[in-house]
Amino acid sequence: MNEELIQQITKMVVEKLEAASSSQTVQQPTNKQKVELFSKQPIGHVEVEKVKSSPSGAVTFHSTTEELKRNVSTVKPTPKTAYGKTKSKPKIDSEEDKLAEYRKKTPARIGVGRAGSRPRTKTWLQFRLDHAAAVDAVYGEVPDNLLEQLGLFQVQSRVADKEEYIRRPDLGRKLSDESKSLIQERCKKSPVVQIVASNGLSAKAIEENLEDVYLSLEQSLNNLNIEMGTTFYVDKGRVAVMDDIGELLQPDVVVMLIGERPGLVSAESLSAYMCYKPRHGTIEADRMVISNIHKGGIPPVEAGAFLGTIIQKILKYEASGVSLVQKEN
Amino acid sequence: MGVSNFNKHETIISAGIDIGTSTTKLIISRFSLRNVAGATHVPRIEITDKEILYKSPVFRTPLQDAVTIDVAGVQQIIRSEYNKAGIQPSQIETGAVIITGETATKRNASEMLHLLSDEAGDFLVATAGPDLEGIIAAKGSGSYEWSGKSGQVVANIDIGGGTANIAVFKDKQLLGTCTMHIGGRLIEFENGIVRTISPPVARLLQDQGYSLQVGDPQNAPAVSFVTTYMAEAVARMLKKEVHAQDQVLLLGHEPNWLQSVDTIVFSGGISECMYHHATDEVQEAQYNDIGIQLAEALLQNKSLQHFTWQEPVETVRATVLGAGTQTTEISGATIQVAPHELPLKNIPIYQYDFEENLETGLLHFEDAVQQAVTLYDSAKEGQNFALYLSNLPYLGFRDVQKLAKAIVQIMNERPCPEQPIILVIQSDHAKVIGQTLAALHVKQSIICIDQINVETGDYIDIGNALTSGVVPVVVKTLTFHTT
Repeated sequence: MNEELIQQITKMVVEKLEAASSSQTVQQPTNKQKVELFSKQPIGHVEVEKVKSSPSGAVTFHSTTEELKRNVSTVKPTPKTAYGKTKSKPKIDSEEDKLAEYRKKTPARIGVGRAGSRPRTKTWLQFRLDHAAAVDAVYGEVPDNLLEQLGLFQVQSRVADKEEYIRRPDLGRKLSDESKSLIQERCKKSPVVQIVASNGLSAKAIEENLEDVYLSLEQSLNNLNIEMGTTFYVDKGRVAVMDDIGELLQPDVVVMLIGERPGLVSAESLSAYMCYKPRHGTIEADRMVISNIHKGGIPPVEAGAFLGTIIQKILKYEASGVSLVQKEN
Repeated sequence: MGVSNFNKHETIISAGIDIGTSTTKLIISRFSLRNVAGATHVPRIEITDKEILYKSPVFRTPLQDAVTIDVAGVQQIIRSEYNKAGIQPSQIETGAVIITGETATKRNASEMLHLLSDEAGDFLVATAGPDLEGIIAAKGSGSYEWSGKSGQVVANIDIGGGTANIAVFKDKQLLGTCTMHIGGRLIEFENGIVRTISPPVARLLQDQGYSLQVGDPQNAPAVSFVTTYMAEAVARMLKKEVHAQDQVLLLGHEPNWLQSVDTIVFSGGISECMYHHATDEVQEAQYNDIGIQLAEALLQNKSLQHFTWQEPVETVRATVLGAGTQTTEISGATIQVAPHELPLKNIPIYQYDFEENLETGLLHFEDAVQQAVTLYDSAKEGQNFALYLSNLPYLGFRDVQKLAKAIVQIMNERPCPEQPIILVIQSDHAKVIGQTLAALHVKQSIICIDQINVETGDYIDIGNALTSGVVPVVVKTLTFHTT
């Protein structure tokens, strides 16, 4: 190879590396500066900061908890005079009251304050914590003793591990061959109601809520004289795995208690999917769901009690989902 | 067995009847109920629309004599107004009869309520104490709504024949109430001379060194002194500056709100004299009392001008509108009720607070029944009561079972244990507690509802279950007051 060319290329590479490292050294002080923002000792480019925080469409956070005066003054520098005689101070209080009122009504992160142009450390850490809890819920496992206590045996979908579970929803909708034969062997055939539990996307949801929902639902069905099949647990199942189960056991109704995709408000929310005679080829519109079953949503015990009456309705109309709504009206 | 349909749009007819010191009026309205929760959620049934079907004219309250209500006369009014509205009593599913002001202390008010309940339909009958009256009027006059929209502290002053009921709201939250002996009929005239003077006014005049006798001319200085004094007393009350000499006009407690009032709204018969909303109606009746002078005195009063004035949506009909459209609450959708036991009327409430701890709460649970019986059924005649369970902790299924067993046990200790078990649960747990009781094979019927806020001393009426499975509930904060 041409020596000159090699030299040229080497030079270019070195130049690039230099440029890269120099841009890094440029970045470092800005990183530092960001950290300093929180320690209240701004250094250097104060005017840059001003430019950043002034765009008119910028999202602003304002505090509602502590340091009341300082934060309010940054949000509303001039108190509105349109209110007439009322002094500005009680107005601030009433605004605080209002935000407190709004916060009571929603678990969303509203009125949480800000530090400069960013969320406050506490808010940010809470957000990180909630996000981590959501991730943990997906990758967590349901403790064996819970299933033992409730007398549930365990089967598998066709999914090998969590990564595959996430990448291949289709495999989560099918039972493995061993599972099929285990179910055939151990379950009551053609029950009126077949209950199935599955971790789905939140093992935490099952851990926290399954016992209360299940026992309450069992009692509700007993009170209503509705026969139950042999309940079992599907590891890494998707909702539509109930079609496979429907084919195998021929129940009138399948109730699937499955962990919901975790969110930042709750990572332990459970859903109860119900379907009248689910079989291969069942359309999604015929499935119905009661979601948001957790401590902060509908209490699990009350949800279980309510599910009994829905199952009663499904059996009466011999339909579920959209078909049920149509028949009912 | 009935299966509830949550998704159907349902309507119920509500009647409001206000029998006041001077006037009686009636209102018929239709409520629309809908499931407002999303399709994947547990249903939540709410009243989504209220439509007024019929407003009666304002009638003079028929009285046999000063202390007796003319029951036949009231029945006659109701019957003819139902006819005009084209409504059968059987169609009415909820609502309230409110006997307000001094009328509530009339001798046969209680007897009349029972008769009316048969006459007016199998709906819910309530009577208001002065505090509740003020609250209902504020809801009917629009003050309650306005407090939510404006964010200001709004005082509604409902002045009728016998009393002025003040209710103060901010952001639709009740801040306090106050009731005074201020009203149009406290001095009545006949042919230009004084015919009656009510006892509180007589006492006021005596305290202030004025003399006014039956037979004195209508334009005696003492009369204008009374109206001016009343207007000034209203202003002082709103500012919470109650003077010793005002005590004679106070009915019950002193003003109990903490924030200072921004806006005032007048409703009731006196406000009609101020705003003349109903001038097109021919009943500019000759009431022959100090009503018009009182309205004038309030308009002229300088201290009251310091407040912002807001015109009411309804004047003389504020209370009846409130009674007809604002007293009904809807229970939670997941409840357990024995349909053959409904409707239930006048059930007193005993509140038991678990203070967020089941274990310690259950330790003294037995006392709840003892105390409720002492309070409401001291003669052990079998007056049933509803147990209100508040501040329950988060309950697992085994906790619910423990609680249900305790409930059965204590309910069997009632003087008449075979009566229905009536439970009101603050949190959303009625269905599971009801079902757990059923699973225990209790002998009694079970009425277990939730998401209604009540407290010891309240009375509730529970209406028939609707198609969606919910029940309408009217909470009565106080019954008759005594003077």
